[in-house]
Amino acid sequence: MVEDQHTLPSRLAERFLTAVCKRDLIEEILGDLHQYYEESAEKPIWKRKIHFWFHVLNFLRPFALKNLGGDYRLNQFGLLINYVKISWRNLIKNPLSSFINIIGLSFAIGICLVAYAMLEWDYTKDQFHENKDEVFLATTLVNRNGSEVQYGSTPGPLAKMLKEEFSQVSKVCRVKDAKVVMKYQNKVFHEEARYTDPEFLEMLTFPLKWGSPASLKDPNSIILSEEMSIKYFGYENPIGREVFLVFDPSYKKAFTVAGVAEPFPVARTIDFDLLLNIENVGLVSPNTDFEAWAASVDATFIQLNDKSDIDFIKQNIGKYILSLNESQSDRNISSLSFEPLASLAHRSGDIVNSISYELPPEKMTLPVLGLIILIIACFNYINMAISSATKRLKEIGLRKAIGANRRKIIIQFLTENLIITCFAVILGIVLCVTLMLPWNNMLIFKYYFGFDLALELLDMKFWIFLLAIVLVTGIASGLYPSLFIARFKVTDIFAGSVRYGKKNKLTKAFLLIQLILTSISLTVGVALIQNTTYLRNSSWGYDQQEILYVNTDHTAFQQFYNLIEQNANVLSLAGSEHHLGATVAPQRVMTKKDVYEVHQLLVDANYLETMGLKLKSGRFFVRSGDENALVVNEMFLKNLDISQSTGQSVELDGSLYEIIGVVEDFHTFNFDFAIRPTIFMLAELSDYKYLSIRVRNDKADETYKELEQHWAGLFPEIPFQGGFQRDILLIDERANEGAKFILSIAFVAVMLVTLGLYGLVILNVAGRNKELCIRKALGANIINITKTIAGQYTILFVTALVIAVPLSYFAAEAFLDLLYFYHMPVSSSAILFSVTILLLVLFMVAFTQVKKVSGSNPTDGLKVE
Amino acid sequence: MGKFQLGEFEEVVMLTVGVLPKEAYGVSIKKEIESRLSRKVSVGALQSALKRLEKKGYLKSYEGKGTQERVGRPKLFFEITAEGKEALQFTRKTRNELWEEMLNLALDVKYSSQ
Repeated sequence: MVEDQHTLPSRLAERFLTAVCKRDLIEEILGDLHQYYEESAEKPIWKRKIHFWFHVLNFLRPFALKNLGGDYRLNQFGLLINYVKISWRNLIKNPLSSFINIIGLSFAIGICLVAYAMLEWDYTKDQFHENKDEVFLATTLVNRNGSEVQYGSTPGPLAKMLKEEFSQVSKVCRVKDAKVVMKYQNKVFHEEARYTDPEFLEMLTFPLKWGSPASLKDPNSIILSEEMSIKYFGYENPIGREVFLVFDPSYKKAFTVAGVAEPFPVARTIDFDLLLNIENVGLVSPNTDFEAWAASVDATFIQLNDKSDIDFIKQNIGKYILSLNESQSDRNISSLSFEPLASLAHRSGDIVNSISYELPPEKMTLPVLGLIILIIACFNYINMAISSATKRLKEIGLRKAIGANRRKIIIQFLTENLIITCFAVILGIVLCVTLMLPWNNMLIFKYYFGFDLALELLDMKFWIFLLAIVLVTGIASGLYPSLFIARFKVTDIFAGSVRYGKKNKLTKAFLLIQLILTSISLTVGVALIQNTTYLRNSSWGYDQQEILYVNTDHTAFQQFYNLIEQNANVLSLAGSEHHLGATVAPQRVMTKKDVYEVHQLLVDANYLETMGLKLKSGRFFVRSGDENALVVNEMFLKNLDISQSTGQSVELDGSLYEIIGVVEDFHTFNFDFAIRPTIFMLAELSDYKYLSIRVRNDKADETYKELEQHWAGLFPEIPFQGGFQRDILLIDERANEGAKFILSIAFVAVMLVTLGLYGLVILNVAGRNKELCIRKALGANIINITKTIAGQYTILFVTALVIAVPLSYFAAEAFLDLLYFYHMPVSSSAILFSVTILLLVLFMVAFTQVKKVSGSNPTDGLKVE
Repeated sequence: MGKFQLGEFEEVVMLTVGVLPKEAYGVSIKKEIESRLSRKVSVGALQSALKRLEKKGYLKSYEGKGTQERVGRPKLFFEITAEGKEALQFTRKTRNELWEEMLNLALDVKYSSQ
């Protein structure tokens, strides 16, 4: 036994070799291998075993592989090449069905690739940061009306406190954003500046192309993004150049360009345009003391030495929160929570004022549409493959007669299908890169993100996805037809008694599903387009048509106000800190019962009238004496359960305010959002940021040009910023583009269904040629022929439409609910439209064939050569 | 003449079989090549070359006796056939012709360039 063990290096290897190697070779090779094994006795046993295994595997070349049982060979390259050849000939021979299959699949794959690019972006965003697991965003949890709300903005001194109290925290940085005007020579633009601590560039991974990250320590340095560098300096290196930041018309400061970032990765949610030391933030808002707990910053990041230390901090943060709340009675922080940078973007949907962001839920539209089109295209393929098998019966019979078994036939047809899918994938990539992606970027992504989505053709994941798509579509669409075809009996084929294709139940079921899916996507597309028109014409709750607005600050305000007041087209003027459609402040209102979250707008006494808000009861502000007065909207009364409209008092920031007026509800923001309880209060002149101007009818465009000229004359160093109030909600553009996109995908679906149906009907008519000729010869008229050809499809269409109409309605309704808080109900005309389109498709397809048959001579079809 | 086509490795294998009369089997051929040409030979490469040569008719094989170190498995000996001999001679002849012509012309170049 011992010797036996010794002489057998590996039973497993031996058995394996015996299993796959030709029988007449085994004795010799095993003998040789054992001899090597014996002769290398001086080496350690594990080395000898590895050696043995290596040679076993090395020996397994095509010549040595044995035939595995029956006629199934391990290497059947010959046959495979034959399959490819036959597939190619079939593709060439049936250009119509090849065209339908390849075009359909490639469109579907193209859309899937766009969806992939989007999901890939979604799942890799912000993953490029080297410290993504050790860097956390500090967030505050605040109790509001009984539920916890998570805020991304934090008290200013929090960063310092965390650094001092916890030794586990190695770095902290604060981020504060503010608008600023940047000037270099004659280039002057409004920009977003990001004020931060020097650690920002150490904690987040934004390598610099030029300059050094350490320069951020210098409060007189500025670091630019690549985009900004190109905008101001072209492609030259701007290090050492001096730019001016204009904080208001009377104050500007020079900064030295000390760094330019490398282009940011596309998959990001956090970046910067201009990066400045946070000490400069005092220049923007001189009244804010960032050492006070009342001041807040837009984000506080901390970095730990070890990511697991976060548990310790979470457990011990409690006592600090108590003292934190004492200094700030109404903030009411219940606890702090820390979000790792790696998952911050995905959590951002639930964080108010997060520095990062998450895609809205409608992001799933694209993958769903891609899947729908893919299903339609696969069903097309299946139907065509089954129907066109008629032409290949003899080939299948012959193959079977000379020894092909079921498995061989299945493999043959799957191979054909994979070849078609490969063609489709190539065309799909071309379609995606040249057509769909640029188009999609133009329509949708630019609006959401402001940058282009791209397919990373060199990425490994992309190729895995491609391979998966080829295999899944290839097998999903090819498995059933090949099983179906392989089932035929040779004797039946040659006896001509195989009956199928004309009345295949599965074919009909597939067509039914295709029609339903098409109807749904058509209805959704049309409903979206209709809704856009509806929203364009629906009231915003105030008169937005003849209003212009100008972004300004309090120093520029008064000068500009005085100048504009004299313009003959101007009816009324108003200043405000917040503005409808642009900004509001979150505010907390206390009644005797509870605390409520509301939107607050600080405005001057003229604002409500200038904007055309409709007074329901009470009065608007008067110029003085209303410092403790509120004008509220109807929603405020309803939500706070205040029955008596005016004269009531509520508490706000520790003092009492009296409600003096109620205005009708209005849309502060897009129709995506619900109307919130809103209050208006008088603003301090020093806080004014907007000037709103009501002009005479049809004078808006003219006045706007005059405004620009006046502004340029007064403030040559600050570019004019303003616009038409009617454009402020961006409803038309974004919604319209999205709707157009979905509708065009719906039309791709219609095209695919048409092609599929056309193919089916053609094959059906070709298969029943003799029958139709006999009917004609016996005197069938055109109505009779139409009935014969279109009869079964008409029944199918009617069934499909009966199912599709309610489904389409609910799908469109649900989709609009997802997109908008306020939208029009799905109209019957949207459903009617999709029904009409589908019936039109049937008529057109049937018409071409009826025409062909009725124009043909029956003797041609009946004669036998 | 495509008739006697021999790859470099095939040629080496044939010659090695030739220098091991009555003793040419897998292990010995491998060892002989490894020691004479000081290069590693893998079992798979050698076996596939032997099978290919046998298929072409340049080698023929016969079974010998099993030994203990081979766990009783027989050795498969190879010898060169008449056709194999012809192929080797053809290869040698063509190589020689090439060598001779090159000696006259190319070697001068080599010396002069040194």
